[in-house]
Amino acid sequence: MNRAISRMFLVGVVLFAALVANLTWIQVFHAKALFDKPQNQRRIAEDMKIKRGRILAFDGTTIAGSVRRSGYYYRTYPSGSLAPHIVGYESVRLGLTGIEVTMDDYLTGRAGGLGVQPFIDRLLGRRPTGADVKLTIVPEVQRAAQAALVGKTGAIVALDPLTGAVIASASAPTYNLGDVEDRWRRLRSDPSAPLLDRATQGLYPPGSSLKVVTAAAGLDTGKVTPTTVFNDTGTYVIYGGKVTNYHGEVFGTNTFTQALTSSINTTFGKVGDLVGRAGLVGYMQHFGFWAVPPIEQPAGSVLASGRYDGGTLLSPDAKMDPLAVAWAAVGQEKVLATPLQMALVAAGVANGGRVMKPFLVQQVISPSGKVVKQTSPALWQTAMSPATAATLNTMMQQVVNAPGGTGTAAALPGVKVAGKTGTAERGTTNMAWFIAFAPADAPRVAVAVAVENTLSTGGEEAAPLAAQVLKVALAQAQLP
Amino acid sequence: MSRRNSELAFLALAAVISTMAYVSVFAGRYHEIRRASIVYGLIFVAVFLVLHLVVRFVLPQADPCLLPITALLSAMGLTEIYRIRPALALLQGQWLLVGAGLFILTVLIVRDHQRLDRYRYVIGALGLGLLLVTMVVGTEVNGARLWLRFGGFSIQPSEFAKIAIVIFMAGYLNDKKELLSMPTKRFLGLGFPAPKYFGPLVLMWVLTLVMLVFVKDFGMSLLFFAVFLAMLYMATSRIAYVMTGAALFVVAGAAASQYVAHVHERFLIWVDPWSRAATSGYQLLQSLFTIADGGMLGAGLGRGYLLFPNHQPIVPDLPTDFIFAALANELGLLGAVALILCFLLFCWRGFRIAMWAPDGFSKLLAAGLSVTFGLQAFIIIAGVTRLIPLTGITLPFVSYGGSSIVANLVMVALLLMISHRAAVVRGGSLRERHELAKLG
Repeated sequence: MNRAISRMFLVGVVLFAALVANLTWIQVFHAKALFDKPQNQRRIAEDMKIKRGRILAFDGTTIAGSVRRSGYYYRTYPSGSLAPHIVGYESVRLGLTGIEVTMDDYLTGRAGGLGVQPFIDRLLGRRPTGADVKLTIVPEVQRAAQAALVGKTGAIVALDPLTGAVIASASAPTYNLGDVEDRWRRLRSDPSAPLLDRATQGLYPPGSSLKVVTAAAGLDTGKVTPTTVFNDTGTYVIYGGKVTNYHGEVFGTNTFTQALTSSINTTFGKVGDLVGRAGLVGYMQHFGFWAVPPIEQPAGSVLASGRYDGGTLLSPDAKMDPLAVAWAAVGQEKVLATPLQMALVAAGVANGGRVMKPFLVQQVISPSGKVVKQTSPALWQTAMSPATAATLNTMMQQVVNAPGGTGTAAALPGVKVAGKTGTAERGTTNMAWFIAFAPADAPRVAVAVAVENTLSTGGEEAAPLAAQVLKVALAQAQLP
Repeated sequence: MSRRNSELAFLALAAVISTMAYVSVFAGRYHEIRRASIVYGLIFVAVFLVLHLVVRFVLPQADPCLLPITALLSAMGLTEIYRIRPALALLQGQWLLVGAGLFILTVLIVRDHQRLDRYRYVIGALGLGLLLVTMVVGTEVNGARLWLRFGGFSIQPSEFAKIAIVIFMAGYLNDKKELLSMPTKRFLGLGFPAPKYFGPLVLMWVLTLVMLVFVKDFGMSLLFFAVFLAMLYMATSRIAYVMTGAALFVVAGAAASQYVAHVHERFLIWVDPWSRAATSGYQLLQSLFTIADGGMLGAGLGRGYLLFPNHQPIVPDLPTDFIFAALANELGLLGAVALILCFLLFCWRGFRIAMWAPDGFSKLLAAGLSVTFGLQAFIIIAGVTRLIPLTGITLPFVSYGGSSIVANLVMVALLLMISHRAAVVRGGSLRERHELAKLG
């Protein structure tokens, strides 16, 4: 028996030797390769030893600061949770999102062009200090947008139409930047998806707010003028189907301006038919549909607007029958748009047909206080001629100012507001839209408001929220 | 120096190493040494001193190495558990006290382990009963059903069942060893016993399978079956059993990894954790990263990067199944190998006791317990280092787990009893006998 026992012990020795050999491989020969694996959070932890640059608002207030605790730097949010979806969180466990990831190289001081200090730091083996990133977000406007959405589901985007600077971008329900790690499980499994940025990823049927694009197509191609007369019988029969008005209303004889003011579907269905599939889709592309708005957010967290089928973006050349074109012209059919895209539509009209490239980062400031990167406004798309834009501007003012206009709830005392409502039916509830800009004669702010799951219309639900945000924005002495 | 004085000297050495470990953790955690920590350390030393005194008076001829190794391993475990989650260490300390109590009871009540042979069927039935009870009313944790809950605390009966079943198998195999080892046919150059003698092997195999499917505990069923095979081999010296058993196990393992979802997933994680890095493969990958981060010398106890800023461990189940990853991180390759050598040293002492024991039952019991101990350590260390598919069992004495530490202390008590009796029967110390054997 003893021979068998000692043999058994030898087997044990061999097994334990295998353990030691494997352990040596892991801890000595393979250690570097394992450390460099992207799944290894130790790398992010290593980055947390760097004094990360601050993320500042347009007026210089700190949105995300850096504080040192036992060797690591942690984010603090002295302004509360301002624009959480845009700013993003930084966590060893969860990784980085938003500006934290797109500007990571600057925030950690790894990017080039930050002066000689980071270079010297690296030569001396010191950890570099990160550069500050100043955003275009204006705290008061951002707060107004976040406050307007409390208790609702939706998004608000406000832009400077002249530059493309995003001065506010809010999405609701939202989350608190300071406690993402602690509440992660709940945030992830919450069916209301608080982590989703509805401003850039919320694809909604734009409904009548898309009529601004249809109108631009009709006016710019000369197919219609503001005074072209249409007759509405409540239904527009086309290609074996029909386009009907919201709640079956009948308007009778109407001019094109009245059609926009009262949001008459049949008239816009006819205009859609006049400009045709290529015309309508072409003008949508001129406003930026089918392109991803190039703001400084990680790939995948900004979506292109356009025609979607089952979650995939259809080609702009995809076939459409005349009935589909007529319904697409009133923002239904398969057309989906993000609030950011619809804000760009309003901004395009406000800026004489020139859609400026939207941006979030105003400048990057090196640790020594030097501005090392400054975003200058650039043209993104040309939507229409300045003359068409001026005509459309006047028509959109009627929506807010004319008696019986659908957007009168967005009117502000002493300021001319131009806008367009939208009410898209999604199942049993409505998607309420309002896109607007002000002051109409010298635009400073363009805004898009989208509210999900409401029983009200765009004019009732979204227009007052747009007015709240516009009012705060126009009260600012300086905008980006 | 007498065995007991050697034991005392080894214990003192273990105490010195443990104290250094404690100090390192406290210094890393609080940048100062707290008085409370020294009190905990003193209580720990006192517990092992009491055990030493019990052994000194009741089992004076027992092996002098086992108790100090036990002390060292439990101290390292407690220290690391404290470093990960202080509240758990306090619980583990209480379980250590319970274990010490049961150790003393075992020594005082059983007195002579040969009495266990007489009750082997009762003990075997008890072990089987413990397993069955878990199958029926057990609570499922992490996909495996191995816990019995009593009000505030829960126990893992398989830890106790393993001792009972080893006792039963030692008695049974010792009784039947001549019968079972009779070769009748030769095949592939090996002597095969008659088919009917494969009965116990097949029975054990079926039992393991049932355990695997219904308790969903791959680790424990692997341990049970391997221990049985090892004991069958040591009793009969028949390689044929081992070959057949291994083949049966491979068949069962392959089938289980296909059809038992829990086992299947574990197998897939082992083959390719990378494509599951964010989900089911997360734990194993973080374990590998944690171990790799330790490098040659480690970060130092209390200084490794084991916890997230919110004090949650990066590797889930760090104080239990993955305690080895934590220690390998902070002690480095050098410390981890030293830990492995401690387990090997324990096994060596156990096998030595088996070789010197005067009767078959004692031999098989000592060897069986040693195999159980060594194999359990191997299965979990190999699991967290991705040498074999991961199965959650405790690292003896080191992992957090009340049932484990209590059961393993009872096991040490049994081994000490066997060694004491061996020395007494043979008259004179083991060393004297060894010298005699060399001359003779």
